[in-house]
Amino acid sequence: MAENKLLEFRHISKSFPGVKALEDINVDLYKGEVHILVGENGAGKSTLMKVLSGAYEATTGELYVEGKKIEKNSPRISEELGISMIYQELNLVPELSIASNIYLGHELRKGPFVDTAAQEKRANEILSEIGVQIDSRTLVKHLSIGAQQMVEIAKALSRNAKVIVFDEPTSSLTDSEIEELFNIIRLLKKRSVGMFYISHRLEELFVIGDRVTVLRDGRQIKTDVISNMTMDSVIESIAGRKIENLFPHTRKQAGEPMLEICGLTGEKFSNVSMMVRAGEIVGVSGLVGAGRSEVARAAFGVDPYTAGEVRVCGQRLPGNSPARANRLGMCLLPEDRKVEGLALALSIRENIVISSLKAMNPSGIVGQKKEREVVQQSIRDLGIATSSMEKLAKFLSGGTQQKVVVAKWLLSQSKVFIFDEPTRGIDVGAKSSIYQLMDDLVGQGAAILMISSDLTEILGMSDRIYVMSGGSVVGEVDSADANQNDILQMAFSNV
Amino acid sequence: MEKKRNASSMLNRIPGVTYIFLIVFVAASIGVPKFFTVGNLSTMLLQACTLTLLSVAMALSLMMGSIDLSVGGVVSMGGVIMAYCMREGMHAGFALLIGLFIGAMFGLFNGLMVTKLRVPAFIATFGSMGIAQSIANTISDERTISWTPGPHTRLIDFLGDKALSIELGADAAQRLTISNLLVITAIAVGVVWLLFRKTTLGSNIYALGANEETARLSGIDVSKWRIIVFMISGLLAALGGIVVMIRSNSVQPTIGANLEFQACVAAVLGGNVMEGGKGSVPGAVLGALTLYTIRSAMSLLGIDTSWVQVVIGMVLVIGMVLNNMAAHQEKKNSQATLSRARAQHSSGKGA
Repeated sequence: MAENKLLEFRHISKSFPGVKALEDINVDLYKGEVHILVGENGAGKSTLMKVLSGAYEATTGELYVEGKKIEKNSPRISEELGISMIYQELNLVPELSIASNIYLGHELRKGPFVDTAAQEKRANEILSEIGVQIDSRTLVKHLSIGAQQMVEIAKALSRNAKVIVFDEPTSSLTDSEIEELFNIIRLLKKRSVGMFYISHRLEELFVIGDRVTVLRDGRQIKTDVISNMTMDSVIESIAGRKIENLFPHTRKQAGEPMLEICGLTGEKFSNVSMMVRAGEIVGVSGLVGAGRSEVARAAFGVDPYTAGEVRVCGQRLPGNSPARANRLGMCLLPEDRKVEGLALALSIRENIVISSLKAMNPSGIVGQKKEREVVQQSIRDLGIATSSMEKLAKFLSGGTQQKVVVAKWLLSQSKVFIFDEPTRGIDVGAKSSIYQLMDDLVGQGAAILMISSDLTEILGMSDRIYVMSGGSVVGEVDSADANQNDILQMAFSNV
Repeated sequence: MEKKRNASSMLNRIPGVTYIFLIVFVAASIGVPKFFTVGNLSTMLLQACTLTLLSVAMALSLMMGSIDLSVGGVVSMGGVIMAYCMREGMHAGFALLIGLFIGAMFGLFNGLMVTKLRVPAFIATFGSMGIAQSIANTISDERTISWTPGPHTRLIDFLGDKALSIELGADAAQRLTISNLLVITAIAVGVVWLLFRKTTLGSNIYALGANEETARLSGIDVSKWRIIVFMISGLLAALGGIVVMIRSNSVQPTIGANLEFQACVAAVLGGNVMEGGKGSVPGAVLGALTLYTIRSAMSLLGIDTSWVQVVIGMVLVIGMVLNNMAAHQEKKNSQATLSRARAQHSSGKGA
C-alpha cells in the first residue's frame, strides 16, 4: 500500500497574522483515489490546497510527495512534481485555440517557432483520450464552461499530472456536463491519477468519492472511507452541530396574487404562465436550458418578450424596464451574484443603500448618519456576518453576499422576490440561514419565486412547484404531493 | 476538405476593420477626383508609414492589457537626437542605431515602471511621454533641426530614395513610387507579425491581456514578457521617428505630438480593445490606412485639416459600433461554431 501513496500532509499548520488557518492536518492521497474535501467556507480547504500548490508555505509540518519530503515548495516545483490545480474560475485565454491553451507556457517548438501542427495533433489525442470530441483548433471563447473545464483537464494531462485538484468543479456545469466530468474522473482513476475534490454539493460525495476529509475552522474533523459515512453524518461534521431541519419553511396563509406572469413568450420560452401569492414560496424546477432564468429575466424587464404580460400587485409592467419593475416592488436576485447582483468594489453599506439612495435622500444630499443607522439595522435583521459595514463586498463569502443583496432589495421596499439559484456555491451552514431568511420574508407577506436546480431545495422550500421543460411550463404540483421522480420525469418530458 | 476548412477559418479571422477600410476606400475612390491615382496612393502609403508603425506598437500593448502613450514622444525625441547627432557630423548609421537604442531603452524604462514599481501603464507611459517630449524640446531649443548633407549622411539619402518608380504617364499623378521607407516599414511590420503568429509572443500577449493570473499559473514569466512588449513598442516608435525624419529631411521637435492618440484610434478601430486579450496586428495596420485614406481624401477635396479630426472621431465611433455588432453576432454564432468543431473533430478522426 505504501508504494501507492502519492502524497501526504504531515502535521501541517498554517497561521496568518491573527488567524490559525490550518491546525495539525494529516491527509494522504493514493494513486487512483478521489479524496473529497468538504467544509464550510473558510474551513481551510483552499488553504490546504494552496500549501500543496506552493502558493502558501506551511508554518509547520511536512509535505511528502511519493515518499520524498518536499523541503521548499513553489508553484513551479509543485507543477514539476506533477501536481495540477483546476480552479473554480477557469484559467484559460479566450482568444487562443484549445491547443494553444493546453500548451500555454510550455509550447512545443520547432527551432524558434511554435510547432502549431504538433500541438494541435497532440491536443487532439489528449482530448480523444478523455473522450472529448472537439477540434483542438477551436478558440476557447466558443466553448461552454463544461468544455472549458475539459480543456483544463487536458492541460493537466499534457503535463503528466499525477495529482489533480478540483476546486468546486461542478458549480457551474449542467447535469449532462457533470456526468461527462464524472466519466473523465473515473477514467483518470484507472490511469492511477490521484485527485483531491472540493465540493459543496454533498450528494456528489457518494457518487464520485473514495474517501472524505471534513475540515472545520482549520481543524481536521474526520477522514474516512465513504462507505462509513451517511449524508447526515457528513452534514453534522461539517456544521459541528446537528442541523435538525435544513429547510425551516412552514406554509403560510396565502394572500392576494403578487406576481402574475400570463402567457409570456420570448426567444427561448413560449406561453409561460405563473402566479405567486403573498406569503408563498413557489419553486421553478427544470433542467438547465429549460428557459427558467430567461423567463425570470424577461418578467423583470431585463430581456424583451414578444407576447404576454406581467403584473405586480395587480399593476401591469411595461416590460423592458427593470427600474419600473423595481419601483412596483419587484426584484431579481440573479444566479451570478458576483456579476449581476453586487458591486464588488463597494462596501456592504454602499451595496445595501445603492437602490434606495433617492428614496432615503429626497433632497439629493446623502445623509451619512441616517444611512449608517439603516444599514446597521439591516445587518442586525438579516444576521449579516461581518466585522464592519465598510467591508468590501468582494471579501465576503457567498452566503453573506447573498444576504447583502436581499438587504438591498428589502430596503427598497421590495415585496416580490425572484431568486435564481439562491444557494449555489454556498456552504451548508449559510444555506440554512438563507432558507430561514426566505421563510421570514414570506412570513412578512412577501412573495418568492425561486428557480433552483437543486431538487431537495425545491421540495424542501416551495409551497407549489412549476416544472419547465423546453421553454414551456409542463406541470404545476403542490409540494406536499410531489416527489423527486415525478418532477424529473416532467423536466425531461419536453426536451 | 482541408483547404475549405482553412478558408472558412481564415474568413473568420479577418478583422472587422477590413470592411470599414474597404467602404472608406471605395467611397474615396468614387467620390474624390484624383484620389484613386497611383501617384496619390504612393504618397498616401508613404505618409502612413509612421502611424502604421505606431499603431502596431499600440496594438501590442493594448492586446496585453496595457497602453503605451509614450510612442509619440519617442518619435519626437528619437528624431531630434538623431538629427542633432548628424548635424554635429556623426555618421548616419551610428545616429540611427542611437535612435533605435533610445527607443528600446524608453520601452525598458516603461516596462520596469509597470512591472517592478507597479505604476499603472497609463500613468507610467504618460509620464515618459512627457519626459521624451521635453527632451526633444530642450535639445532642439524648440526649433527645427536639419543637417548639412555630406558623405556621413549618404545612408539617409539612400534610405529616402525610391526602391521602385514606374511612370505610367506624363504627370505626377501617374507615377508609381515605392520608397525604401515603405519597404522598411513593411518589413518591420512583417517581422512583428511573424513573431506574433509563429513564436510564443502572440499567445503570451493574449494570455497577459486576458488574465495575468492565468499567464502566471501557466508558467509564463509575466514581468519579462511585459518588458519585452514595451521594448518592441519603443523600437517601433524609434523606427517611426527615423521614417518621418528621413521623409522630411529635418525634424520638428513636435513631430510626434498627438501621434499616440491617432495610434490608439487606429488600433482600436482594428479591433484591439482597451481591456486587452484580443485584437490583431493586421487590424492595426488597416486602422492606420483607414485614417490616412480619410486624411488624403479630405485634403484632396480641400477641406480644412481641423475637420479631419472631426471625421476621424466619427469614424472611430462608427467603427466601434460595427465592432460591437460583430462581437454580438459572434457570440450568437458560438454555439454553431462549437457543434461544427465537434463535427470536424470526429470527421478528422474518421479520416
